Amino acid sequence: MAAVKQTIETVAALEKYEHGFTSQIDQEFAPKGLSEDIVRFISAKKGEPQWMLDWRLDAYRRWLELEEPTWAKVSHPPIDYQDTYYYAAPKEKTGPKSLDEVDPEILAVYAKLGIPLKEQAVLAGVEGAPRYAVDAVFDSVSVVTTFKKELAAVGVIFCSMSEAIREHPELVRQYLGSVVPTSDNYFACLNSAVFSDGSFVYIPPGVRCPMELSTYFRINAKDSGQFERTLIIADKGAYCSYLEGCTAPMRDENQLHAAVVELVLLDDAEIKYSTVQNWYPGDPETGKGGIYNFVTKRADCRGDRSKVSWTQVETGSAITWKYPSCVLRGEGSSGEFYSIAVTNGHQQADTGTKMIHLGANTRSRIVAKGISAGKSSSTYRGLVSAHPKAKGARNFTQCDSLLIGKTCAAHTVPYIEARNGHSVFEHEATTTRLSDDQLFYCQQRGLSQEEAVALLVNGFVKDVLQQLPMEFAVEAQKLVAISLEGSVG
Amino acid sequence: MTSMLSIQNLHATVADKPILKGVTLDVPAGQVHAIMGPNGAGKSTLSYVLSGRGGYEVTEGSATLNGEDLLALEPNERAAKGVFLSFQYPLEIPGVPALTFIRTALNAQRRARGEDEIAAPAFLKLAKEKAAALKIDFDMLKRGLNVGFSGGEKKRMEILQMAMLSPKFLILDETDSGLDIDALKIVSEGVNALRAPDRGMLVITHYQRLLDYIKPDRVHVLAAGRIVASGGPELAHQLEAEGYDKYTVAA
Amino acid sequence: MTLATALKTGDLTQLPSRRDEDWRWTDLRGLIRQVPPASPAFDDDVAAGPFDGLAADEILFVNGRQRHAAASGAGEVVALRFVSATEGTAHAAAYAIVVEPDTTLVLLESHEGQAGGYFSDVTLDIAVGEGARVERIVLVDDDAEAIDVVTAEVDLAPGATFNQTVLTAGARRQRIETRVNHPGAHANVRLDGVYALAAQRHADQTTIVTHGGVDGVTSQLTKGVVDDQARGVFQGRIVVQPGADQTDARMGHHALILSDKAEVDAKPELLIFADDVACAHGNTIGALDDEQIFYARQRGIPEAEARAMLTQAFLGEVVERIEHEGARAVATAWVAARLGRAE
Repeated sequence: MAAVKQTIETVAALEKYEHGFTSQIDQEFAPKGLSEDIVRFISAKKGEPQWMLDWRLDAYRRWLELEEPTWAKVSHPPIDYQDTYYYAAPKEKTGPKSLDEVDPEILAVYAKLGIPLKEQAVLAGVEGAPRYAVDAVFDSVSVVTTFKKELAAVGVIFCSMSEAIREHPELVRQYLGSVVPTSDNYFACLNSAVFSDGSFVYIPPGVRCPMELSTYFRINAKDSGQFERTLIIADKGAYCSYLEGCTAPMRDENQLHAAVVELVLLDDAEIKYSTVQNWYPGDPETGKGGIYNFVTKRADCRGDRSKVSWTQVETGSAITWKYPSCVLRGEGSSGEFYSIAVTNGHQQADTGTKMIHLGANTRSRIVAKGISAGKSSSTYRGLVSAHPKAKGARNFTQCDSLLIGKTCAAHTVPYIEARNGHSVFEHEATTTRLSDDQLFYCQQRGLSQEEAVALLVNGFVKDVLQQLPMEFAVEAQKLVAISLEGSVG
Repeated sequence: MTSMLSIQNLHATVADKPILKGVTLDVPAGQVHAIMGPNGAGKSTLSYVLSGRGGYEVTEGSATLNGEDLLALEPNERAAKGVFLSFQYPLEIPGVPALTFIRTALNAQRRARGEDEIAAPAFLKLAKEKAAALKIDFDMLKRGLNVGFSGGEKKRMEILQMAMLSPKFLILDETDSGLDIDALKIVSEGVNALRAPDRGMLVITHYQRLLDYIKPDRVHVLAAGRIVASGGPELAHQLEAEGYDKYTVAA
Repeated sequence: MTLATALKTGDLTQLPSRRDEDWRWTDLRGLIRQVPPASPAFDDDVAAGPFDGLAADEILFVNGRQRHAAASGAGEVVALRFVSATEGTAHAAAYAIVVEPDTTLVLLESHEGQAGGYFSDVTLDIAVGEGARVERIVLVDDDAEAIDVVTAEVDLAPGATFNQTVLTAGARRQRIETRVNHPGAHANVRLDGVYALAAQRHADQTTIVTHGGVDGVTSQLTKGVVDDQARGVFQGRIVVQPGADQTDARMGHHALILSDKAEVDAKPELLIFADDVACAHGNTIGALDDEQIFYARQRGIPEAEARAMLTQAFLGEVVERIEHEGARAVATAWVAARLGRAE
């Protein structure tokens, strides 16, 4: 019952969007708008080698030829790509830095967000508590990465993408864009041209990463987009668990977040990738502002018996367009996708996954829970496909939608393509509303309506929450409750 | 006395893992032999190897019925020779009424043996008679085979098929599992009614309880893939009292 | 963007292509290089249809032209036949049916290919009056080289019942689409489908049911079997409009793939804009159950026979839902024949 009590307390102490503060930090920007010059500016600012600049310019030229996709069940005014800052960074000296050198104002931001950046602060915690190495990305740049030395001792590379391009060019050149090709889609292509920073992880063969790795993304600057790029490589037999958190201030303008995440798994490797996405969703009453979250995430299970697991809790953003995918190439490889998508106010989410079975005896599992309230709409869109060579492929998909209120919408759009006679695909979906009987039962036992909703919703999403690391699960549970505040009345 | 079912030094693997490690067993016509043993001893494997289920590889040894090699035959050919396996968990087959299923099986077996197919009226008469004896509502036979049936109803349906197909050799795999005492009695009576001088039976069970109703001539203990003890019906009582510990340790 | 428009204008760009979301698995634009000549009038006798003897009235179209005068309208059982009789030619037909309030109609519809490689497009408008009851059985037996599109737009009045079963063996490209405007209001819809495809045949069963008002029920069950290099497509969309509360909509699609080169594509969609609803869909694609096959073989049934029996039982679940006894018997025999089993 601890979780219930927690939820009740959380609900009682609610704010609308608690990460919506802005920080006055001295920043420098690239001029607004997008052109070859801006791409060159970003690359130069980061001191990148020529090959990286060429890669970006190639992506930019391809992007010019692509058209913005329209198939998602989301609608928004046209995005003016020339009215955005593609580069915003806290003003300070460049180069690698220790925690002591980081602007105290920025440290204050992370402290306020509850993100531990001080290693000793983490170490001073309860003995035996899991530790997190954090890469903190502030607008366009990584401001600090913790625990690097301890990780380096076991051969794990955990650093910002900018640093990886400088320090580990051979790995970056080999793997960058190998999972999500430059012209994969409109937003991935844009990202390839202008990506600013993000995290880079390499786990060497046979190494089990000794701590949770996490990246915390914060958009702070006004009118800026965030285009981070994350690349994780798990070599043969390696394991890591990676967490990602996101917040942004409340602003009336829409801001664009177009990230690309690439995961590479060799034989017997395993990656657990968890996301708690809490970008500013826009004003709940008017729908004004909020983040456009157009993200491409893909894992390539190249190795036999490799295993990837995506878990996501999506409570934020004005619009979410995101399909963390698994390319199951290696024999016996497996992919999992666990998702909670909560929409309220005027939020729109079109999210799901793709499970591409290419290798024999590949397995996948999808559990997606969508909760819609207010005037929001939530769509599950997923593809499961088995190619002729994927004999023995298996998929199980469970999609459940919960509707709260008369003005919201919930859609389920699965695509299933089976191309051989030795695969088994099962898909189940339900759409229901929060049961009046259950609500009344809870209220009769003394819970307020909001407490009852939180309790029932927690039950609805339990299967997915269980997949998250403990600390994240608690945070996610609070977020779900906060996001649904005022949805019944 | 010549044996009907003869198993010699049978070894079998499942996914390359050895399960049966040299089983030797003879069951003469007219006799009922029980195989008892702890979980994981290989009891169900033995029944599947004898009936020819896929995924079980015989690596050594032989099994014959009336001198004929069983292991070389397809499952349906073994059935036509008279091998009947009563499943521990009988399958549900939606859309195929029990009557259709049994008639199809009976005629396939008859064809395989070079006999004439049974005429529809004779078949229906036989089915009605046997169903009544087993207290099965005849209308249940018009529904999809075993679909929505209780555990007891499914086992009775196995006995009905046994009675209709009149096989030469019966293998009962954990027939008592999931049965209450009344169902157990009905099922046992059905089995006992099939005891005959020209018919052999192998009763596989974990518990002695079933053997109070289906009295065996011989009892064998299967542990870790081998027959480790054989004796008269008293052996079953001894196992009930003492458990399988001494065999699992010995094995 | 329809086949009919392209046939009429000769403009290939009017054909739906895989870039159209609703045609992603039934690409006509990429397949058709040129529009064949219009079908000539055909005055010879045509062979009897599959529902011969079951209907009092018959409405017959040959090569897109209606041959008989309209039926008396008094019959409760009507055969509606679309026969393609000339090889390598194209035709389109449209027909409207109005079912008066509180009446009953059994519509035995057949699409019969009596020639090779034709193009056929049929559009039906079916209006079902208040409290009326319609059962539509559609049996599509096309030539292997045919291109056939059948589209029915069904409008239901309150309290109406519309039950449909489509059975098809596919064609070179084939689309059977049914759109139902469901008023809720205690109207009741059953939309079923069966496909049994072999060789290089393709069949697409697409349904769109739009619930516009409170208290509506929809039940859908489609099952298919594909063999060789055939391709089965199922697209089912259930839309519940704002305010269409107490909607109860269930959709099931289940397919067996019998060969390594066959393909099944499915998209069971739920688009829900109301909250007080109970909607669900289930989709399974796989092979026959090995356990069931072993069980049947243990009882003495040879493997091929066991497979055929289980396959027929699999499709039989849909056929059993046909209410009209004569039509059900025709459908049962048709399925058995497709699976190479005599009944």
